[in-house]
Amino acid sequence: MKDGIISTDQIVLITTAIIVGTLARVLTIKEDYRQYPSYPNGYLIHVITGFVAAALGAVAIPALMTKNFVAVTFLTLAIQQFRDVRKTERDSLKDLENTEAAYRGDAYIDGIAKTFEARNYFALIVSFSTGLTIQLINSNLPWINVVGGVLAGFIVFYVLKRFSKGKTVGDIADIKEGRVEIRGSELFVDDIYVSNQLGTENARKLFQNEGIAIVIYPREEHFRITLDNYGQRQAMLFEATRSIGVKRYHFTRKDYEAGRVVITLVPIVRDINKLIETVKETPLLESAKKSHTVMKTYLAGRE
Amino acid sequence: MGRESTQKPNYEILAFITTNKERALGGKPLMLLAKDAEDAKSLTVDIAKAMKADVVQMKSGDYLVLRV
Repeated sequence: MKDGIISTDQIVLITTAIIVGTLARVLTIKEDYRQYPSYPNGYLIHVITGFVAAALGAVAIPALMTKNFVAVTFLTLAIQQFRDVRKTERDSLKDLENTEAAYRGDAYIDGIAKTFEARNYFALIVSFSTGLTIQLINSNLPWINVVGGVLAGFIVFYVLKRFSKGKTVGDIADIKEGRVEIRGSELFVDDIYVSNQLGTENARKLFQNEGIAIVIYPREEHFRITLDNYGQRQAMLFEATRSIGVKRYHFTRKDYEAGRVVITLVPIVRDINKLIETVKETPLLESAKKSHTVMKTYLAGRE
Repeated sequence: MGRESTQKPNYEILAFITTNKERALGGKPLMLLAKDAEDAKSLTVDIAKAMKADVVQMKSGDYLVLRV
């Protein structure tokens, strides 16, 4: 083999690692129930950035093996690239805010952008682990190296996916259908005051005949902290309006006494089960989530 | 409302329609004095339709046209 030309073993290592890493990114794009991004160009953009991330992870091992330690600093380039992915995603979603029926809200956008950044790390780590495993096995039979690498890659992918999977509203709260009631120009759901913006006959009639509502009951008292968060409620309202559409009006309101949260709207598709399911599946935002256990206070002080 | 009131959505009052001239004092939004309740209702609906706005009927019977 001529000096300076990459060996067949290294080609196998790099190719396998890139494929497995890119696959990890492709699988995480399709996993999301909201199917975001649901447009072909969005898929392409994220698959390509995933491919670049996987390529960076794949060439790290050959670079180390050839004692090219300085070359590993290109991983810093990867970090910069992933941050740009987050920034691009955030800017893009913020630009779309005025085109949606309800705002996503800054907290939700931040969460989505972070997820996109994190999923590029998936591709990098998975491809790096695949490459490392192939190098460690180093068998004379190339297919054993490839199978071992792929297996290790998928195990790492599974662990990462489990680790990064957040909780949803359905994990901390029960959601039931609410009773819509109009008193004068005021709207009530299960006797919780929601709005007084139904000032005209048309508005009252529309809401009375077509309005639907859900009431979210926190399972524990401390879950109220998360559910009361303005960003979290905005995210639930956004998902609700996105899934069943909005003909007119959408409101969210919290009840201070029992901690119930109301979401009500006049939808295009009048499907209460779909609405309940959507809100149940809304992710708990990282910025709104609080760890109850670390907030325990000790009256006598810690030991 | 607390902090929520400082966040989106921002409400803008477009018009205030009343039948009581004692309450028609002026201010930033358009202020209209209607002849009677029917006239007030009709004025409100017309303005709300034109401006694609929402309507609040206050306990006093006056109307507020506002946009989110």
